[in-house]
Amino acid sequence: MTTVRALPNLDSVIHAQARLRVTVALSVLPAGDRVTFPRLQELVGMTAGNLSTHLRKLEDAGYVKITKSYQRRTPVTYVTLTKVGRRAFEDYVAAVQALLATPVDHSGEEEL
Amino acid sequence: MDEDERAKRSAVIGDESHLSPEEALALIDAQRGKAVRSLYVDPTMILGAWGGAWLFGFGAIYLASNGWLGTVMPAWTAGAIAGVLFAAAALLSFGEQIRHGRGVEGRSRRTAAMYGWSWPLAFVGLFALDLALEHQGLPADLAPLLWTGSSLLAVGLLYLAGGMLFDDRLQYGLGVWVLVTGAASVAAGVPGNFVVLSLAGGGGFLVAAAVWRVRGWRAERAPA
Repeated sequence: MTTVRALPNLDSVIHAQARLRVTVALSVLPAGDRVTFPRLQELVGMTAGNLSTHLRKLEDAGYVKITKSYQRRTPVTYVTLTKVGRRAFEDYVAAVQALLATPVDHSGEEEL
Repeated sequence: MDEDERAKRSAVIGDESHLSPEEALALIDAQRGKAVRSLYVDPTMILGAWGGAWLFGFGAIYLASNGWLGTVMPAWTAGAIAGVLFAAAALLSFGEQIRHGRGVEGRSRRTAAMYGWSWPLAFVGLFALDLALEHQGLPADLAPLLWTGSSLLAVGLLYLAGGMLFDDRLQYGLGVWVLVTGAASVAAGVPGNFVVLSLAGGGGFLVAAAVWRVRGWRAERAPA
């Protein structure tokens, strides 16, 4: 697919709508702060199953850390962006901005 | 995960992997805005509420104090207006802090909680001190100056602290303004002090709210 070839340097772990949403929402929290799973769900507007799937991928890449603890015997799941994840997101944003700053020649495409 | 499985899963969960850079940037901006609005209190609203409370609350008290305009309303009405406005602003500040802080924990929340509790704690201390001075024979005509002057000292210092804590010059500047207003109000004496508190104090909050709104405080919080 041409779109894929046009974006060679974007981190594929982040470069997907759902995971980008999650990463952005977590990046808004100050470094080191963590958010509960339901609150994160509210921030990104995703179903629990969908969010779990994408969090697992981000966790596998080492971008988020998931901690489970108990508060008055109720299990609480906390999610936080790791240093690696925060750095990867900053690099991703820089890469997207660089791509947008590079003028693209569309003249050839339109004739095809 | 192989390519087929990835595609299958993408179809199931609606994962659009092929975002263009424009779409990605638009998504980042939209999601960041949404998260910031959800996670942080909007100071414009809080400062606006306090500005209104000072302007109309102290304004009402002035109108009940036989100033240049004479006694326009009874003292109990003015007291009720001021009481309701200040209570409403305090409740709004407290409620917003709780609402936006839900489900988040970490150092920044501990800092915000300690700062938040500094306000009621400072005022408990201030009440104890001012009440004790009244009981020990403070002249009645000095009581309004003591209460407002000491309150503004506390408020000014707390805004200075907020400025330091959150690295925010506007908040620090508001603290300086409140300290100056407090000193000026005591120098003006009763009932002129209430004009100073209403116009300079309330006006200061409203100006701060407007500046906050215009400069877009959200942009400063978010990285990149």
